[in-house]
Amino acid sequence: MPQLLETMIAISLFLCSTALILIPDKRWVIGLLALQYVGVFLLVSFSWPLEIAVVKLVAGWMAATVLFLAQNDHPSSAGVESFTASVPGTFFMGFAALLIGLSMYSLMPAALGWFLGASPQQVLGGVWLLGLGLLQLGFSNQEIRVIIGLLTVVSGFEILYATLEASVLMTGLLALLNISLAFLGTYLQMAPRMEESQ
Amino acid sequence: MSTPLIWILFPLVCSGAGIFLTRFPRVLKWSGAGFGILMVLSGIFLPIGRPFRLLFWEIQIADQLLVYGRRFVLSPSDQPIVALLFSVFLFWTLILNPKIIPGYFVPLSLSGISLIITAYAVDPIFYGALFFAFLALIHVVMLTPPGSAPTPGVLRLLIYQILGMLFILFAAWLASWVGFNSGDVFMLSRALAILALGFSFLLAIFPFISWIPMVAEANHPFISGYLFNVYFLGVFLFGSRFLTEGGWFAQGIDLQTPLQIAGVMMLAFGGLLAVFSRNLGRMSAALIIAEIGRSLLAISLFRLGFPIYFAMFLVQLLALGGWSISLAKLQTILPDFSLRSAAGAARQWPLLSAALMVSYFSLAGLPLLAGYPLYLALGNGLRSYPIWINSALVLGSLGLIVGGLRAFSFLTEDSGEEVVLELGDRFDKGVLIALSLLLFSLGLFPRLIYQLGLAITNIMMGS
Repeated sequence: MPQLLETMIAISLFLCSTALILIPDKRWVIGLLALQYVGVFLLVSFSWPLEIAVVKLVAGWMAATVLFLAQNDHPSSAGVESFTASVPGTFFMGFAALLIGLSMYSLMPAALGWFLGASPQQVLGGVWLLGLGLLQLGFSNQEIRVIIGLLTVVSGFEILYATLEASVLMTGLLALLNISLAFLGTYLQMAPRMEESQ
Repeated sequence: MSTPLIWILFPLVCSGAGIFLTRFPRVLKWSGAGFGILMVLSGIFLPIGRPFRLLFWEIQIADQLLVYGRRFVLSPSDQPIVALLFSVFLFWTLILNPKIIPGYFVPLSLSGISLIITAYAVDPIFYGALFFAFLALIHVVMLTPPGSAPTPGVLRLLIYQILGMLFILFAAWLASWVGFNSGDVFMLSRALAILALGFSFLLAIFPFISWIPMVAEANHPFISGYLFNVYFLGVFLFGSRFLTEGGWFAQGIDLQTPLQIAGVMMLAFGGLLAVFSRNLGRMSAALIIAEIGRSLLAISLFRLGFPIYFAMFLVQLLALGGWSISLAKLQTILPDFSLRSAAGAARQWPLLSAALMVSYFSLAGLPLLAGYPLYLALGNGLRSYPIWINSALVLGSLGLIVGGLRAFSFLTEDSGEEVVLELGDRFDKGVLIALSLLLFSLGLFPRLIYQLGLAITNIMMGS
């Protein structure tokens, strides 16, 4: 039963991060990011005590909140703001995400040799997030997309690293990195509209 | 009281306070310089682990701080590094012109220096990679001033630094899990490959090189000059400590060949970029890429190469300072940094152009300027290794010199129009003349700077 639950979490992480790439509406994207952190928390909680694993969830939700508030504050967000997307582009990205998913799945047996304390589902969830985060980073030059891609990559790494080491300082620093990345994303979005210092 | 509190936490708190004063760049400049002097003096003279009397109090400063079970250690052998890093901060603060450099430069650069010291001080050392990720965030903010959008180069810098951090953390864990004494060469070589990938991201080694020319071309020249100078120093210091403390040097793993191959590649790219660049910003990128290559070659010589590395860094500091000030001033005058736009600049702004060329040729390795004797010493140190390494060192420098000569011909081009001679304001004039004279004199008396590099190495390595 726990294995089935883990499998479902890993698959939902894949779907969530694929949707992060495909969906053009920025608010939905940030909502999905928050949802993704629930999956990260659940997979990490199989390796760590709940009270430490919950740090991932709190930090992730804080990051998502910071990004969401910045979107609300954006003058052009009176309506729904979207990333530019075309139908062929969306199909291409979906196909690329599928390829990443399949290739990561095929790499899983080898990856299991590296992460001995991890379950196959944890490894799968981690490498899927790493791969799809890298895909997002490779295909986008919008600052918010880059930040979301980096948050996804770091989340994937956190799942894998949680199976290797449980240091309080490392957990705190990684949580701080997530929140700092979100603040940076907010700053990068707002910087062009800020008053020049010189 | 402990050294991490004095050299990490205190500067971080001060830089946080400085953020609220960005509307007063002059105040920030001079208070930053005062703070820098205080930190440099403390880095040189502070007695660590020995009781001493300060006015009415007897104080003993511990060399470590415990945070959540991990130690931050800054012992007497780290004092030259602390003094060097704060000297670099002091130098850049002193040479900046508050009229053309954004006010946030001083507090953000101070927090960046504190983060480099943190990365250097943390035990286990691989945690330091995380602090470089935070440093990257600060640099992204520095390179994206209010009123402008982030450039593609800045976003790429951010991505590469975060990925580099992840690879280093994973490699360090893998190495500690396998254990150096287990004899599992296959797994150790895997760990080393991942580590090399991590440091390639951090040091912008091919193929992760692209953000350097992008940032140099599109961002503020003073801030990008500072970033190239300080950031790569930080990575080299962290990398050296990582390899020595992590036990990588002691295991008979061949680190020399990969370092030398990477160094040669960077020198070749730097030389080629200089030959084909038609933009002053990209030429500074060529200099930096070649400098990374030379630094890698120097570090590949281990104990013999460290004094050369530190001496080269000091020359780089002076030359990049001169180059960045000149370019920042030219940015306010020229429409862009293309050589075509800068044609004839030396006839109107002779001092700026002269400082630009002296700084450039010092780093390119033109004889009689500050870089040349050090590159000669580096080549001498590499003479017992395959000939292609020294050939790359010479050809890389030649490429830089050829590129510099072409830029020089553009700068001195006669447009046929009558121009009014402009020497710039008194502060810039003074700084540029002083830096150029220093670069000339260090070319004539290279032992001065080499001895300084040797002294830093000796204290650092404990002899």
